[in-house]
Amino acid sequence: MTHQTINKTACILAAIIALGLPLVIRSATYLHILVLLYFYAYLTTSWNLVGGFAGVLPLGHAAFVGIGAYASTVLFLQYGISPWIGMIVGGILATIVGILIGLPTFKMRGAYFALATIAFAEGIRVMIENIDRLGPFVLNGPRGLQIPPLNLGLGNFLFAGKEPYYYIILFMLAAVLMLTYSISRSKLGYYLNAGGEEPEAAMALGVNVARAKLIAMAISSFLTALAGTFYAQFTLYIHPKSVVSLDLSFEIAFIALIGGRGSIAGPVLGALLLRPVSDFSRIYFGDTLPGLHLVIFGVVLILVMIYQPRGLQEPLTRLYDQLVDRLLRRKAGEVQA
Amino acid sequence: MIYLLEDTINGILMGSIYGLTALGLTVIFGVLKVINFAHGSLLMVGMYVTYWTVALSGVHPYLSLVVVVPVMFLFGYYLQDIVIKPIFKAEKEVREPITVIIVTTGVWYILDNLTLLIFGPQYRNLPDNPLKGKMLALGDMLISVPKLWGFVTTLMTAALLYWFLQTTRLGRAIRATSLDRQASSLMGISPYKVYNVAFGIGTATAGIAAVTLIPFYNVFPTVGVLFDIKGFIIVVLGGLGSIGGALLGGIIIGLIESVGPQFMAATWTEAIVYGLFLIFLFVKPAGLFGVKYDW
Repeated sequence: MTHQTINKTACILAAIIALGLPLVIRSATYLHILVLLYFYAYLTTSWNLVGGFAGVLPLGHAAFVGIGAYASTVLFLQYGISPWIGMIVGGILATIVGILIGLPTFKMRGAYFALATIAFAEGIRVMIENIDRLGPFVLNGPRGLQIPPLNLGLGNFLFAGKEPYYYIILFMLAAVLMLTYSISRSKLGYYLNAGGEEPEAAMALGVNVARAKLIAMAISSFLTALAGTFYAQFTLYIHPKSVVSLDLSFEIAFIALIGGRGSIAGPVLGALLLRPVSDFSRIYFGDTLPGLHLVIFGVVLILVMIYQPRGLQEPLTRLYDQLVDRLLRRKAGEVQA
Repeated sequence: MIYLLEDTINGILMGSIYGLTALGLTVIFGVLKVINFAHGSLLMVGMYVTYWTVALSGVHPYLSLVVVVPVMFLFGYYLQDIVIKPIFKAEKEVREPITVIIVTTGVWYILDNLTLLIFGPQYRNLPDNPLKGKMLALGDMLISVPKLWGFVTTLMTAALLYWFLQTTRLGRAIRATSLDRQASSLMGISPYKVYNVAFGIGTATAGIAAVTLIPFYNVFPTVGVLFDIKGFIIVVLGGLGSIGGALLGGIIIGLIESVGPQFMAATWTEAIVYGLFLIFLFVKPAGLFGVKYDW
């Protein structure tokens, strides 16, 4: 047995557990929490393509969630177009917006890029809040849009139970993880990595850093918008403060940063560790101690940035590697004996 | 016409207060080269300090400056010393300290939500302070007296800050560090101490801004967010690191917000502000008065 086969076994084991969980967990509340956990893991993994690999700090990803959610919902409610098609439309729209943001901003550095993404996202929120009708499309301003749960079925992306949503978001998460993995091993991944760490050196070697970042941004905004459609179909109610809020943008970035940006496991790990904190503190202390989970997020974020700037994935990966090594050595010992 | 003039004057007054809220941001950026995302939260803390000082002692709001300024200076000084300095030390050679931005964002969330935990979400104001709701009649125009006080305070604070940076020994040390960290440390200036002081000064000006807001503004845990994003926009408009730029940027925002509603729905002015900000960011990221910096 080698290190690699153990890794593979662990992955398969995790997949089996994830697939089997709804058979064990019958409580709708817990399933709901799990679905949101995967939803966040999906968002942070998509964010990571820009925020991690490209080495910039986007703080406005909620704009893409909002574009995805609104595009599919408007098409579904007014024209009866299946949200699956609306999902793609939203993705394409978000890609265009993402490129529009990236084109001028990738020339800027650090703080300016973060500020520009915030301004873009907030600008989009303010616009949605102010627009009741955009040409033929009804956006309903600050009141938001509600999806009536009629005509359930796969074609309409509407289900009675939580299980179908669970499997859809699980599949989306697995797909985005595989995509991230293959990007990290591709030319694009190496370009991004080089451009994020030493932009001057990379450019001197003939790497078009800005173009690589732009491609990453396009992919990331497309993927993020798909999650927006999922969110709309899952919660059946969207409004500007929920899907385009600054808080959502920041939460995405926080989770990815705490988990470890630039790594594949980091953002998922971040969601795995932090989402339960926020869900359970909301369930148990929501009335008595509002905002407790955000204080915890902030403290954890600062501690991680000071002591583990590469995120929590680093010590955990090391621990895992040590465990695997010990396992292998014991096996080797048995063979010799 | 008279309304337009009235709106213009009130816009300039309110805008100058916006400029004051952003002044600390620009001072901190000038020296640390970092955008302090927690600045709005520091303003919020200042407002709570002011609120309780005035509510408990019953003095004139502006008298609370005696308490607010030193408290906020020390708060900023130790915030930088304890929370932000370790990052700087770890990333000595990094030119764009993204990590510091992230940490200040963490501070923002902690301060806002800690305040929510302690004081609750309700809006507080000082209903019977001597400046509340006072208007000055200027012919047919009505000018808000608390905003006029804020305007004068802004000018005085900016002048004082300018004088301090230009003439005092500490001010010169701050400017030297801002120009070239390495060279100034070779001259015997401890950069970390200068960072602490600059952060303290930035926080103290946020405290002064809080005092000018208290007579006519509500206090609540997320009040900082409103000013935070406005502050970013103002400093980019005016040029990061420029004191005069912050004031001018503030006045531009104030004018848009107060004159804009004459021509469109008031909520649209916010969208215009964001649009203007983005245009500036793309066309002239150095802002109106900013030095051309390697961004």
